[in-house]
Amino acid sequence: MLERTLTVTNRLGLHARATAKLVQVLSGFRSHATLTAKGREVNAKSIMGVMLLAAGQGTQVILRVDGEDETAACEAVASLFERNFDEGG
Amino acid sequence: MRQHFAGTGASRGSVLGRARVRLPHALDVVEAHVEPGEVDAELDRLHRAIDTVRAEMHDLRERLHGALAAEVGEFLDLHALLLDDPELLAGLDALIRTGRYTADYALRLQRDRLAGVFESMDDAYLRSRIDDIDQVIGRLHAALHARAAELDGAAGDILVTDSVAPAELAQFQAQGVLAIVTSGGSPLSHTAILARSLHMPLVVGATGVLARANDGDVLVVDGDTGRVVIEPDAADLRAHRAREREIKRERRQLHRLRREPSTTTDGVDIRLYANAESREDVAEAHALGAAGIGLYRTEFLFLQRRELPDEDEQFRAYRDVVLGMTGRMVTIRTLDLGADKADRTGLALRDEPNPALGLRGVRLSLARPGLLDTQLRALLRASGYGQLRILVPMVSSREEILAVRERVAALSAQLRAEGHEIAADMPVGAMIEVPAAALALPSFIGDLDFLSIGTNDLVQYLLAADRNNEALGELYSPLHPAVLKLVRDVVRLAQRRGLPVAVCGEIAGDARFAPLLLALGLRELSLHPSTLLEVRRAVRACSMQALTERSRALLRARDRRTIEAWLADACPPVP
Repeated sequence: MLERTLTVTNRLGLHARATAKLVQVLSGFRSHATLTAKGREVNAKSIMGVMLLAAGQGTQVILRVDGEDETAACEAVASLFERNFDEGG
Repeated sequence: MRQHFAGTGASRGSVLGRARVRLPHALDVVEAHVEPGEVDAELDRLHRAIDTVRAEMHDLRERLHGALAAEVGEFLDLHALLLDDPELLAGLDALIRTGRYTADYALRLQRDRLAGVFESMDDAYLRSRIDDIDQVIGRLHAALHARAAELDGAAGDILVTDSVAPAELAQFQAQGVLAIVTSGGSPLSHTAILARSLHMPLVVGATGVLARANDGDVLVVDGDTGRVVIEPDAADLRAHRAREREIKRERRQLHRLRREPSTTTDGVDIRLYANAESREDVAEAHALGAAGIGLYRTEFLFLQRRELPDEDEQFRAYRDVVLGMTGRMVTIRTLDLGADKADRTGLALRDEPNPALGLRGVRLSLARPGLLDTQLRALLRASGYGQLRILVPMVSSREEILAVRERVAALSAQLRAEGHEIAADMPVGAMIEVPAAALALPSFIGDLDFLSIGTNDLVQYLLAADRNNEALGELYSPLHPAVLKLVRDVVRLAQRRGLPVAVCGEIAGDARFAPLLLALGLRELSLHPSTLLEVRRAVRACSMQALTERSRALLRARDRRTIEAWLADACPPVP
């Protein structure tokens, strides 16, 4: 299992569009993935779960990925966070 | 007993009819259980409903095109993700298995649990996502009970409900619903935009109606004023009849404008072209007396399919547009695909980090030379059948126009050698939608035969504001001094060169903005045929002399409010 701390830096936070992107990226991997923030752990492949985290800009989230392709999945998610979910700002 | 409610008018029309009340989906479901032996059957029932809704949404997605595809499609995509959400599904299965609840009640429990969390959020945007979940759950409830079919009985009725999803609206209209009153919603919502384009009268934000109206109550609904009356009295009926007559008279007047010129009160002729992407659009444009086709979108030939259309298929499509316009000018835009469009041909790049700034429009065409050549050959062949000109999208520099022109010249020679009859000199124009093209226009205007200002993208790029990002609110607006100045400069430069210049964004089809566009110097607009008569009426109420005198004040306006005030002053009262 891999664990990584990420910071939500995009301006709008994990709102519907960013969440949809995250879920779409993860759906390409077989590994199980969760996000933890504010003491709550949710299925990172669930758009509802992630939206329910209500992680705004500046929130730290812990990504946990477990499975055969965990390294690639972890990289893909980290890169999405770093790119601010491609919001261009 | 007579009761009246003040909502907000969102789509025009006065309607008298009986109420058909649809309670919020989740609220009229009561706790119910299934027998232990029926749990698997209940799970089956739920999953069949999920499959049905998935198929419905897929179907709708396929049928959407043009502006609606972008606007409504995004919601459908979100709803499709929600529908397949493991959080939602696993929770439902567990509730049915362990609690032996009916699928209906399990849905309601899930909805309430999610709503509780969403409603406690600070962020208004996230809070409002519960609407999306409600719409998905509502569709599931409907599928569980084939409730859509049940609403068939609503033919001739006025639907009173909490909210209507854009995707439901078209279904209601097909079922014969006369008008819709919702307790929530906004006149700016996608549902409202869609209602206006479907001419379905709609009142939103009519709080209290849902609690008071019963099935069969007689209602009067006014989609202009937002007024809703339950059990109207004699005076209400009289007012409704007067309103109805007024609207009918307006429609007749509008209808009569089909054969009238689009001329200002002081005799300046404004050329109204049509935006089109289907055979129906072309037929309507012709019937309404459009000056021609100002923007024919070729994307629809490429979307929703896996194989590219070959030259002959494209040629026939373009030729039919030219023939359909019987000698009037037809402007066909080369492929304007980008990663934001749902193409399955694999042409556009997937997962571009920023599709709006990516490989799209002419950039994509030039990156796939075979694609461009095939389209240009088809267009050149169609030019033998009438008047046709080629519009190039997303131009940002002279090189792109020169590259397209070089291909047009080479392919023309090739086609002539093959014995095809093609136009002697094919006009090539550019969409002015990238700010760089507008600013550098003097450097390549000599290479253009005509211009079309694509305000939708120009505003988005100029103001760095995504038009589909609701969080930006009014930041995306053409009423910005920078937009007005740039449009005015482009128009001036083109006119000095004697080149035709049109505006083809949404703003051209909004009758309220006609005086503004005329004051900026425009004499050609290209708009969807459904708005042509309204814009023609607005143009016919304008005095060019008065607008020209006031154009300096418009360009001096320092902010949005001043521009709006200018418009309010300039606008002939459009009923």
